[in-house]
Amino acid sequence: MSKDVYAVALKSALTEIEKICPDVSCSFIFTKDGTIVAGDSEANEEKMEKTVRSFQSIAEKAEGIGGLQALLINGEKGNVHLSRINGMYLTLATSKNADTTLLHSVTRVIFPTLLKLLENVTPTPLHQAPSKQLIVDTLSGFFVGDSVQIDLEILGQWSQLLNRKSLDEVEIETFSGKIAKCNVKEINDPKLKGKGIIRMPEKVCKTLEVQNGELVKVKPTQLEET
Amino acid sequence: MPTKNKEKEIEKLQEILKDLKTIEGIIGYILRSPNSASIDLKDPTKVIDYAILSTTAFEAGQEMSNTFEIGETETIVLEGEGIKALSMIIGDNRLSVFMENSVDHEKLCKDLNLA
Repeated sequence: MSKDVYAVALKSALTEIEKICPDVSCSFIFTKDGTIVAGDSEANEEKMEKTVRSFQSIAEKAEGIGGLQALLINGEKGNVHLSRINGMYLTLATSKNADTTLLHSVTRVIFPTLLKLLENVTPTPLHQAPSKQLIVDTLSGFFVGDSVQIDLEILGQWSQLLNRKSLDEVEIETFSGKIAKCNVKEINDPKLKGKGIIRMPEKVCKTLEVQNGELVKVKPTQLEET
Repeated sequence: MPTKNKEKEIEKLQEILKDLKTIEGIIGYILRSPNSASIDLKDPTKVIDYAILSTTAFEAGQEMSNTFEIGETETIVLEGEGIKALSMIIGDNRLSVFMENSVDHEKLCKDLNLA
């Protein structure tokens, strides 16, 4: 789920909360660094920015009480509640005699649950498998094919990290910046296992302009994010 | 308000604050009147931090009241990790009471409003 979708989901949630809490006249949510994530239709930009500025001026000085977790302002004609929820701050402007029990349910139960839910439905970003520096070992002959060969141990580590059953393709980058994608297999010569080499067909070596004994960076190709 | 009444108001408030300090969980208070200030905190090293926080709370609180058009600020409650502060305007006086989170600040607020 992208940031935009996340913000739209939060905005819808704020609107729904206002439906069950008619005492709430305006609501929005922002992060500690002041980024406004979402707001209802009543929360215009000027209002939100002013609030964030005022809030930050207090938050900066609240270390003496262990950091600001919540702020409540009782005015003559209404109240403003700011509550820290999962690292974000929910702002609710309410009428003077708003139902505090219902508000507590919103800030302490409904919204934290909602945020957790949204975080869970947001797919985690793909892990970046670290690239390995391997020494080129040229493969020649009629039957070498197009695939490069790497230690099974390295392929296993990458598969585990990327949560993939097997790896079929790697990206090879030379130190001069040339890049090529190749099919990959495990090294089949037992004498060459565990030596930190990549066995590359001559054709690939030519494409990448590398020679026997040179170092190249190798990493598995990433699947496209869906 | 006539000067005599104002003096009485401060005296009454200070009496309440004396009793307040005996309540379990109360850390102390900062009271600012137009011509004086009284500070009573269990930990004197916190005086500056709490005084700055109190002033900022009143300023930012009024800013937010203006932003949301909720009228004059009556009380401001700042809740931290373990400690909270109740700030309120009583007549010409600005009072901030610091306490542990377990203290019922709403009851305290009612008591102080009777001053």
